[in-house]
Amino acid sequence: MNIQDYKGVFVFAQQVDNVLSGIALELVGKGKDLAKDLNTEVTAVLVGSDVKGLADELAEYGADKVIVVDDPELKEYRTEPYAHALSSVIDEFKPEIFLVGATAIGRDLGPRVSARIHTGLTADCTQLDIGDFPINPVPGKEQLHNQLLMTRPAFGGNTIATIACPDFRPQMATVRPGVMQKAPKEAGKKAVVVEFNPGFTPNDKYVEILEVVKAVSDVADIMDAKILVSGGRGVGSPENFKILEDLAEVLGGTVSCSRAVVDAGWKPKDLQVGQTGKTVRPNVYFAIGISGAIQHVAGMEEADVIIAINKDETAPIFEVADYGIVGDLNKIVPALTEKLKAELAAK
Amino acid sequence: MDFMLTKQHEMARTLFKEFAEKEVKPLAQEVDETEVFPRGTVEKMAKAGFLGIPVPKEYGGQGCDPLTYAMCVEELSKVCGTTGVIVSAHTSLCCDPIMTYGTEEQKQKYLVPLAKGEKIGAFGLTEPGAGTDAQGQQTKAVLDGDEWVLNGSKIFITNGKEADVYVIFAVTDVVTDAKGRSKKMISAFIVEKGTPGFTFGTKEKKMGIRGSSTYELIFTDCRIPKENLLGKEGKGFGIAMHTLDGGRIGIASQALGLAEGALERTIEYVKERKQFGRAIGAFQNTQFQLADMATKVQAAQLLVYKAAVAKATQKVYSVEAAMAKLYAAEVAMEVTTKAVQLHGGYGYIREYDVERMMRDAKITEIYEGTSEVQRMVISGSLLK
Repeated sequence: MNIQDYKGVFVFAQQVDNVLSGIALELVGKGKDLAKDLNTEVTAVLVGSDVKGLADELAEYGADKVIVVDDPELKEYRTEPYAHALSSVIDEFKPEIFLVGATAIGRDLGPRVSARIHTGLTADCTQLDIGDFPINPVPGKEQLHNQLLMTRPAFGGNTIATIACPDFRPQMATVRPGVMQKAPKEAGKKAVVVEFNPGFTPNDKYVEILEVVKAVSDVADIMDAKILVSGGRGVGSPENFKILEDLAEVLGGTVSCSRAVVDAGWKPKDLQVGQTGKTVRPNVYFAIGISGAIQHVAGMEEADVIIAINKDETAPIFEVADYGIVGDLNKIVPALTEKLKAELAAK
Repeated sequence: MDFMLTKQHEMARTLFKEFAEKEVKPLAQEVDETEVFPRGTVEKMAKAGFLGIPVPKEYGGQGCDPLTYAMCVEELSKVCGTTGVIVSAHTSLCCDPIMTYGTEEQKQKYLVPLAKGEKIGAFGLTEPGAGTDAQGQQTKAVLDGDEWVLNGSKIFITNGKEADVYVIFAVTDVVTDAKGRSKKMISAFIVEKGTPGFTFGTKEKKMGIRGSSTYELIFTDCRIPKENLLGKEGKGFGIAMHTLDGGRIGIASQALGLAEGALERTIEYVKERKQFGRAIGAFQNTQFQLADMATKVQAAQLLVYKAAVAKATQKVYSVEAAMAKLYAAEVAMEVTTKAVQLHGGYGYIREYDVERMMRDAKITEIYEGTSEVQRMVISGSLLK
């Protein structure tokens, strides 16, 4: 391998049922930033069957070039033909960096491809930078420039590791969805489209898909929610949970509650957070009208950000809250919902 | 020093025993299974005068000493731990503080019907964040004109929802002491069921004493008359602690009764049950186990009675009460566990009484101050 031969930032543009996944556009956005630092271009790799029409959308979000691998064998995601498609693209085009979304598909595909082409892969990255490796010069060791520094949480988020791949190319990473920013859409922009088909011959590694089941759940699992709008006895009545539901809807969150609310019969037990309910770790937890007894706090203190709204300034919830408002939730919550609605509409 | 009960005590004990056997024992299993507060039994006890034993006659009580009251709880608990704690919480935790700290008006208005058993009493101190650390109160009371306004909640309140009169503790002020630390000033209040803003939350599902009604109390802008402050403003913590000293004698009596009841059942059982061609009471292991159980029960009884006498004769009896509760509760746990063992497989079946007694015994190590709190009280006095 001659490292100098490898150029450009490539991203895997994941599509399902011929619809681009959000992560595809996030990776194009991030890839664009990295490409700028390296003074190169960002290329999206689109794999599927009859997917050429998606190239324009990738261009509008910043892709300079789109490589399309189009074949009936690629209609639904399967490990073998997709791994073959990406490995062939890498062999042919020799990118310096190759990014894959850390979705269920990406986590399956990334390691296969990296093993096949014999390079390093960092999984589930939350930060990507171009920089020097080693970050601090080590006497007697050459410091390489323009390396991809891949940062990811490890050990359940208790430590942060920054990893480089100095001796092999491409430098591969799977990237956590929702972390990177899409670039602003530029309507009408076009990209260079290159069609490439390495040929697909089914072999014994081709699995047969019998059925694809799309799960529809009516009750969102509060343990999976990224944003929880949680109400306590202070909400006052089951009807009054409407204002929490409105807030949750605007934020794309889920409503949960304290034990008092379940005991009062306002909400089902599977929405209860706390010692005798569920333990949740959302990115944002709104504690609305919840006093914050330890029995409740034990179930939500791991949330990244805790926002408390309570009329009692001495309520223990404020000891764990990152942000707190002392006041009447009936006034604050609707006002917050309106403000957020306006703010999000402006984006 | 005299270990003989007086004639009155003997007569009282006989009365309690007969009542327990006739009225309480037949219902004990059903009360446990259904988790229903034994309202009918409570009414019968009111008629018999069991709900005001240590209250002076001029306030509707029986005018007996604390020992008589302790024996009542003991005898009831021999057959039903639930019934024992109903009497204990009502008498020690509600009648006693009103009797000790109440004004004449408060005694006439509240103590008289409580002692006669026309009303049931309860005590609201514990909160989700303030159990052993009772200073950690969050419930607040603010004086607004001539009314106190209560906001907050209490949990695990014995006789909750069933009781008519509640002694409730709330923070009325926060002061800064000489060292610059802020200290919550707690006050005690008498709150009646039915007061607007006073509602009941969760009913707890418990391991034992399942017929005892254990509820959450909720106060939302609950307004009570100014004159329902019990004792002096800011002196509530002392009132609570002094009340619990007395309450611990009641719980010690309950624990003692549970241990005695389990021992009695076991003695009967081992005489009847045969294995290897003889009664299991003929095996030396059984005999030695029973000897240990009986000795511990006797020791517990002496501690409990000593504490009851101390309440009548001494100004301060915290240590006696703490020792009695600590020891009697741990004996109750040990003796009931051994009772189940000596019953073998049958002891684990709900048709036999001893498994219920074992479930009931555990709470005596926890409520009205955990065993660890009792050890804090005792060691604190030793190392003064």
